[in-house]
Amino acid sequence: MPLTCMQKWINQLTYTDMNNKQFLNELSDKCQIGADQAAVQVENLLGVMEKIWQDGDSVSLSGFGVLEVKKKNERVSVNPTTGVRMLVPPKLVLTYKPSSLLKEKLK
Amino acid sequence: MDNKINLSQLAERLAQEGGMSKAAAEQFVKNFFDIISQRVLEEGLVKVKGLGTFKLIQMEDRESVNVNTGERFTIDGHQKISFVPDADLKERINKPFAAFDTVQISEDQAKELAKMDAETEQADSAPEDKKPVEEPKKSAKEKRLAQKQAKKAEEARKRAQKQQEKDSEKVVDTPTVKEITQKKGTRFLLKFLIGLLSTVLVIGLILFVMWPVIGNSVLDIVEKNLNKAKTEMVTDSLQNAAPAEVILPEKPAETPVEAPVAKPAETPAETQSAKPAESPAVKPAQPSQQPAAQPAAKTKQTQPQASVKYPAVKLNSQDEAKDLSEFTAADVVNFSIEGLLTTHTLQKGETLTVVALKYYGSKKLWPYIAKYNNISDPEKLQPGIVLRVPVLRAK
Repeated sequence: MPLTCMQKWINQLTYTDMNNKQFLNELSDKCQIGADQAAVQVENLLGVMEKIWQDGDSVSLSGFGVLEVKKKNERVSVNPTTGVRMLVPPKLVLTYKPSSLLKEKLK
Repeated sequence: MDNKINLSQLAERLAQEGGMSKAAAEQFVKNFFDIISQRVLEEGLVKVKGLGTFKLIQMEDRESVNVNTGERFTIDGHQKISFVPDADLKERINKPFAAFDTVQISEDQAKELAKMDAETEQADSAPEDKKPVEEPKKSAKEKRLAQKQAKKAEEARKRAQKQQEKDSEKVVDTPTVKEITQKKGTRFLLKFLIGLLSTVLVIGLILFVMWPVIGNSVLDIVEKNLNKAKTEMVTDSLQNAAPAEVILPEKPAETPVEAPVAKPAETPAETQSAKPAESPAVKPAQPSQQPAAQPAAKTKQTQPQASVKYPAVKLNSQDEAKDLSEFTAADVVNFSIEGLLTTHTLQKGETLTVVALKYYGSKKLWPYIAKYNNISDPEKLQPGIVLRVPVLRAK
């Protein structure tokens, strides 16, 4: 039982890793830069975007969509079985809204 | 705040950060998002490390009601792109609100808050600008529903405020840095504890799983140790018991030999050595017998001697039997006989143990004397026998 669990976990890890590698390879091919260079730049880009989000700004890209941090207000949730009321605190959540162009492509 | 950063702005920032030309940065960012959108459309799933997961979700057909006309119509199934941020990124984004935890609300609190909210809500609902626009469109039911929702939201907000006020002087919107750091400390501690607990659990699990392999060997080792301990205990008790028993029989052995038995034994010995004058003085209870015995023949003289010796020997035999059982283990082996020490004439009432005690200081060494003198039956010794006492040397 634990072995199968471990196998699954490892599979998942390797899978995502492969996915990421593929992604970086494709990116480096398109931009004609080295794969390691691409990895570094992706990290930089993510860092820049994070700073933007932390400033409360949103990243909007034509043809892709908007990546934006939204504040979710605090709310009271009720457990339907026990009736216990819980106050869920407010949070900041990163949301993505695809552009209409992308939506069109989906159809 | 609330600025929209577009491609060129983003590229500019990236160019500053990554040390590449602006054109290249722009191209890079464009490609980055192009690949994501392309892959989502093709494969339905893109995981970008450090950002999150984009996923294509199939929405089924569903029925809906036109709010204005009340007509039913179906919304056709379509595909939707969902985005789930990475756990790390999610946490970092939510940093300003990380200090808040989900809190349970008690009944009383809820009622109180509801009352307060009902009062404030009447005042609040009027100046809201969205509602008047929507209201004419909605039916009475719809209106009530909206009001209820608004009420709920207000309630929640009020509750949150109250909770925060109660907890401390928290600022409603953004907690101070101090509070965050404090909460972070406790969170870290909690995480640490959870980590510790989980490692212990994992170790337990591993042990549980590997038990068939490890368990048998462990059990074997434990069993061996137990057996060892048992045997040690047994030998210990044997060795300890021997000297302990020796001390006990000493008294009953010596006293009967020397006091009650030796005295009657002495008297016939004295009579033998022709000292009748002393015996009545020493033993006033026996003179009647001894004078009678003295004139009698030698046969008669030997009779009291025999009768006297008998109890002594009997007692000694018991003593020796005990000694025999005791010395078997260790004592005999420890010494070797090396030559003659002296000779000893056995007196009446004396046994080999007494001789051994006299020359060696230990009763237990009598078998050496017996061996040295080739005595096969130490119980049947006649007084007057000359014993050769050997020199003993510890091996």
